[in-house]
Amino acid sequence: MKSNRLIFITIALIAGIAMGLTYGWVIDPVDFFDLTPDTLRSDYKADYVLMVAEANRFNPDPGLAARQLAIFGSLSPSAIAASGLDYARANGFDDSDIALMQELVTSLQAWSGLP
Amino acid sequence: MERTPVRRIPWDIFLTLLVPFLLGLGLGLVYSWIISPTRVIDSEPIALRADFKSQYRSAIAAAYAGTGNLPRAQSRLALLGDPDPIEALNAQAQRMLASGEIQQAGDIAALASALESGPTANTQPSPSTQIVSVVPGISTATLLPIQTDIPFLFTETPQLIQTQPVIIESTPRPTRTLVPTLGAPFTLTGQDTTCDTNLPDGLLQVLVLNSNGRQMAGVEIRITWDAGNEQFFTGLKPELGNGYADFIMSPNTTYTVQLGLGSDIASGLTPPACQTSSGDTFTGGIKLTFQQP
Repeated sequence: MKSNRLIFITIALIAGIAMGLTYGWVIDPVDFFDLTPDTLRSDYKADYVLMVAEANRFNPDPGLAARQLAIFGSLSPSAIAASGLDYARANGFDDSDIALMQELVTSLQAWSGLP
Repeated sequence: MERTPVRRIPWDIFLTLLVPFLLGLGLGLVYSWIISPTRVIDSEPIALRADFKSQYRSAIAAAYAGTGNLPRAQSRLALLGDPDPIEALNAQAQRMLASGEIQQAGDIAALASALESGPTANTQPSPSTQIVSVVPGISTATLLPIQTDIPFLFTETPQLIQTQPVIIESTPRPTRTLVPTLGAPFTLTGQDTTCDTNLPDGLLQVLVLNSNGRQMAGVEIRITWDAGNEQFFTGLKPELGNGYADFIMSPNTTYTVQLGLGSDIASGLTPPACQTSSGDTFTGGIKLTFQQP
């Protein structure tokens, strides 16, 4: 009798935990705001790289471009730009946009001395 | 005599099932909301911290300065979810001017001006590039009351598109245009003498308006006099208006004022001598108004 009761308690506890996790992770997860750019979705990151590339074409300044790209975290600016370029190539950006991003990558690699 | 049976609380069931269940529910919520909340990936620009939004705006403005592609800039600005993107740009331009970032402030002010005066402010431009992206297999957090699968569109009005595998529609890139002009040179539409004892002596007030009569922030004003010259900008005193700027003139000095964007020249400006009602004299001021025709 006592062991049956213990089993019921355990089952109820586990059911409660499962319900709580489901609610907290799936049904109503935490709302996030004040996020950092490294959490941006890949297409937004690629578009940001494209923005920097567009500005860099008009006003070539790899130092400024590097500072603008630094918001994405600890990777080197050329690596961040290259990542955006890879995304653009894989997702069919316009050739002219890809060319701009390629220019930016090349410019940043030359500026930083990193391949 | 029979006693009516008293209904008893089924403590056994309560203790055996309900209490452990509620305890487990609480533990699960604590774990999923506090200890290990859903990891944030694939967020959208609208959820960025304010300072990163400012950087995003700067990048949009710099890109616009390079391409002149207003629809693309508009759709990018829309991602930030500002209630009034023009006001947000003007406010940022003012902050950047105050912190000495003149080049970037100029880009942002130019974009704000283009949005204000641009005919496409609420129209449907032809699409340029449309990118729909999904990162499959990665859970996303619910960020704000927006759909996480809203595609990233470089179009005027984002459309909800079903986003299973990656769909790319690439259309010809918009024609690259030169950096947009800010419109016709400004004309001097008002030049008034102010005799107000509540204002500082020799106060030169400048108000800059666009063709729609809206005040323009971040406009450079050049003032010259015999012994030197200086530049100042509108919008550094937003409490007096985005298009307002002022300068203290010295008595017995003649000044010339012109906008950096090109304008009529207000010349021969000398602080007037004014009198109070009691007959005391003081140095008055001048108020200039420039407007795009």
